[in-house]
Amino acid sequence: MSHDAALGVPAHSGPAGPAATGPAATGTAPTGEPPAPRRRRPPSAPYLLLVPAVVALLAGLAYPVGKQVVMSVQKYGLEQQFGQPPEFVGLDNFVRIFTDDALWAVVARSVVFCMVNALLTVVVGLALALLMRAVTTPVRLTLQVCLLLAWAMPMVAGVTVFKWLFDYRTGVVNWLLVKVGFDGMAGYSWLSQPMTFFFVATMIIVWMSVPFVALSLYAGLTSVPEEVLEAARIDGASGRQQLWHILLPMVRPVLSIVLLLQIIWDLRVFAQIRLLQDAGAPVSETNLLGNFIYELGMSRQDFGGAAAVSIFVLALTVLLSWPYVRSLMKEDA
Amino acid sequence: MSAIAPARPSQGKARDLATRKHAPRANRRRVRAVALGALGILAALIWVFPVYWMVLSAFTPAAYLRATTPQFLPLHATTTNFSRVLEGGDFATALKMSTAITLLTVLAVLVFAFLGALAISRWKFRGRTSFVLAVLFIQMLPAEGLFIAQYKMLSSVHLLDSVIGVTVLYTAAVIPFTIWMLRGFVAGVPAELEEAAMVDGLSRTQAFLRITFPLLAPGLVASGVYAFLQAWNEFTVALVALPSQSSQTLPLWLRNFLSASANRGVDWGQVMAASTLIAIPVIIFFLFVQGRMTSGLVSGAVKG
Amino acid sequence: MKMLRFAALGVAATLALTACSSSDTPSDDATTAGGEKTAEAAEITLWLAGGDTNDELRQYLKDTFAAENPGSTLTIEEVAWPDLVTKLTTALPDEANTPDVVEIGNTQSPTFTTVGAFRDLTPIYDELGGDKLLQSFVDVGSVDGKNYALPYYFGSRYMFYRKDIWTAAGLEVPKTLSEFSESVAKLKTDTQSGFAMGGQDWRNGISWVFANGGELATVDGTTWTSTLSDPKTIEGLTQWQEVYRTASNLPSTERDVAYWDFLNDGTDGSAPAAATIMAPGWARWSIGDITTNDAGDEVRDGMADDTTFDIFALPGVDGGIAPVFAGGSNIAVSAKSQHPELAENLLRIIFSEEYQTKLGGAGLGPGNSDFVSSLGDDKFATTMIETAAASKLTPAAPGWAAIEGAFVYEELFQKIADGGDVAALATEYDAKLTPMLNGGAAG
Repeated sequence: MSHDAALGVPAHSGPAGPAATGPAATGTAPTGEPPAPRRRRPPSAPYLLLVPAVVALLAGLAYPVGKQVVMSVQKYGLEQQFGQPPEFVGLDNFVRIFTDDALWAVVARSVVFCMVNALLTVVVGLALALLMRAVTTPVRLTLQVCLLLAWAMPMVAGVTVFKWLFDYRTGVVNWLLVKVGFDGMAGYSWLSQPMTFFFVATMIIVWMSVPFVALSLYAGLTSVPEEVLEAARIDGASGRQQLWHILLPMVRPVLSIVLLLQIIWDLRVFAQIRLLQDAGAPVSETNLLGNFIYELGMSRQDFGGAAAVSIFVLALTVLLSWPYVRSLMKEDA
Repeated sequence: MSAIAPARPSQGKARDLATRKHAPRANRRRVRAVALGALGILAALIWVFPVYWMVLSAFTPAAYLRATTPQFLPLHATTTNFSRVLEGGDFATALKMSTAITLLTVLAVLVFAFLGALAISRWKFRGRTSFVLAVLFIQMLPAEGLFIAQYKMLSSVHLLDSVIGVTVLYTAAVIPFTIWMLRGFVAGVPAELEEAAMVDGLSRTQAFLRITFPLLAPGLVASGVYAFLQAWNEFTVALVALPSQSSQTLPLWLRNFLSASANRGVDWGQVMAASTLIAIPVIIFFLFVQGRMTSGLVSGAVKG
Repeated sequence: MKMLRFAALGVAATLALTACSSSDTPSDDATTAGGEKTAEAAEITLWLAGGDTNDELRQYLKDTFAAENPGSTLTIEEVAWPDLVTKLTTALPDEANTPDVVEIGNTQSPTFTTVGAFRDLTPIYDELGGDKLLQSFVDVGSVDGKNYALPYYFGSRYMFYRKDIWTAAGLEVPKTLSEFSESVAKLKTDTQSGFAMGGQDWRNGISWVFANGGELATVDGTTWTSTLSDPKTIEGLTQWQEVYRTASNLPSTERDVAYWDFLNDGTDGSAPAAATIMAPGWARWSIGDITTNDAGDEVRDGMADDTTFDIFALPGVDGGIAPVFAGGSNIAVSAKSQHPELAENLLRIIFSEEYQTKLGGAGLGPGNSDFVSSLGDDKFATTMIETAAASKLTPAAPGWAAIEGAFVYEELFQKIADGGDVAALATEYDAKLTPMLNGGAAG
């Protein structure tokens, strides 16, 4: 398989025209020549290139994040917001939130919710990407257009529609279930129990996130050269073997990035849950981390506590993603 | 090598191969193709149904909404909801605001993130790892506790109710992810390509613009789509950063519909009409970049 | 080239950011010289919550303000109810951007008055109406005998019912609370609630507590105590549990339900989902038969058919009228307002006879009881006035907004609706609520 070298490069697909014509097509394999031109450039270049991004990050985040850190060690409530000098309380806020059982329940719930959603999204997205590869052009285009439409739907509108579809009285879902014989589902209140609440929430998140994953993975799949598969077919590889031994390994880089992103994003789910809770879910049993922080800060005006939880969440996420981060650092070293 | 370009597997060849070898297998294949096609259509329907429901409701008079027996077809279609939503001109103002903020954010993010991605994927330098880590970690900080400080910051520099103020916040929020995404794309274009072009007599800039940049287009499009959707849909930061009604963005405007009447029972028809209006610019944007996306797909360079 | 230009733009923006931050000195106190009614001309801002104040009222305020304060203008911003606390929390302390006058939910007032967010209105209290103002609303806006927030408008809740269904079942309008409970229990079927009420709907539910002489909380000096375990409160909660479980088909998690949907026949001709509901007066316009209005829209006719739809006030334990929860809002001047004289001038307009009468004409109960007759004299107006006179408010505790924000009462009522032991729950939630009432969340 002559493609190995080109395809082995992570996050790159070789088949573009220029790659084929240039003498560098095989250049990814180590040659005697070190990438000298890079070294000779003045070392200030990368720093200059980073300036705009760093300035933008500092402009938008430095003060809010710094303030967050300061508030986390202060008694900061509505009085302080209205002018009373905040009092330094050391780690009181942290002690208070850590001794609150509510926090740990929310953490456990968020982690489980995040894992389930991220995995489900990636699995469904991959299935749809493979499906797009297997069907005729009209069907594929239909599916792609429908995914794009779903992706384009404003988030607030998406949640509102789902809330309505699952409404206990006028919802299409209950109506359909009754029609197909589940009479017990008449008037079933999906959003009232934490389990069914999170079922609906998962449907929404997966529905919203799958288009991005499916389209990215499909793009990844199309870059697998047909010759490779044909060669495999001639060698007598079954469809399943092609999937496991050729397609999946080749989209692995895309898969792992998409999965990491979904994990980061799903741990930060906030607005969807908040909008769903408006329909009457038991709030304290359905809060995820973002909602917990927002409620603590904006509704209960305990800004110090909210800041402490935020910092704790940051630490927790770093901890959870540490294995990945380490491999990233090694790769970069 | 050039034959690998088509995005779709060449089914013709596959079928040829099959018929030549085993005739019954061809039959089974046809059955399988029909089943897969049906599955594809089913998935399409599932994904499009909520969108359909939104549009359908937007054309339904309030009295017929929320009936216990759902109506799947527009039997009482009316455009009243749309005309109600559009009267008063708030939509036009919000559309302008959203468009300005979104476009500015997309451009700022693309330029800044692209330069940043170039730096970290093409050079090794002191502080690079720390920067990559910082970028990764920034994404992990919950945004829900930042509102008070964000308000104070914008207020102290007199940027409340301004396009620039919100853009600064959005740009900072979106840049980490885009740097990260583009980094993969830039790393994916071998520097040797440029060098080869330079050997052929192009300047470094020319080589970059003619060789590398086109290969990055799909990555830029994907990052742009992401930034666009973030800026277009965001409403919690906008809520505090844009306190005046005259400077609200489309999601805030939609929220006003949802809650202005919350006490009186939400007018779902109008909410859905408003939602439909907000979705239209996104669809137009998607249609606009769709060509670029697919051309990116054809050249096979899209990798998350 | 394009790219460069945008990069430059970004840099310019950042420079502007840093440049501005150095000029951040508070503006001079320009208003010190201004005497009453002769304040320096300026632009002031009024925040209204939700859409209850209609366009005609808004225009009147703007025009009158401009006429009475030459050179000054009034800007009105509408803030959505769910966002109000968030926006007040950020904007009120900011003297450069604070709204001058704000409308605030009556139950949200104490939280902000106790932290000094509002200007002391005691000096002009009598001028604005004094004792004539709705006292329960005045109380939630007062701290230590000083007035910070005054009543803007009130609404109250009464019962809407299907007269045809009640009559067919041989039932009369109930005279006592227990009679009501028995009647609605009889009217419940598998598909029809005798009385539709969500389990989390404590704003309707506390009427049963008030009717039995119970309270949610009491204050001793400045210390609040949750009194759910008081025998009278427990009696009220137990009665409410009984009504919910015997008369309502709604899930225990429902709150803020659009109850009026339940009273109408379905558009497909199906029977109504409830025989009785409890709602604020304006619910009327979502009830009735479908008709076509002048604009050609299909709407409900506002209960035109009075043999099918009618109303009554929730009866008390021993007859009369039960105290219900009074909805409505207060109005206050920001302590950081740069134009307090102009802001007070706006209050003078709001509390004038003309504007108060206009509020009544728009179906909102005016804050000054002298002008309540402006609501009209049909049954809807008289029932609203009767129930309002008997209405009560939630405790004026500093932590009240926090409690609402954390949905504590919703949780409690849901657990009661699910059949929980009322006495045990009362003890559990007393322990939870007492520190929150005193603003304990932040410390």
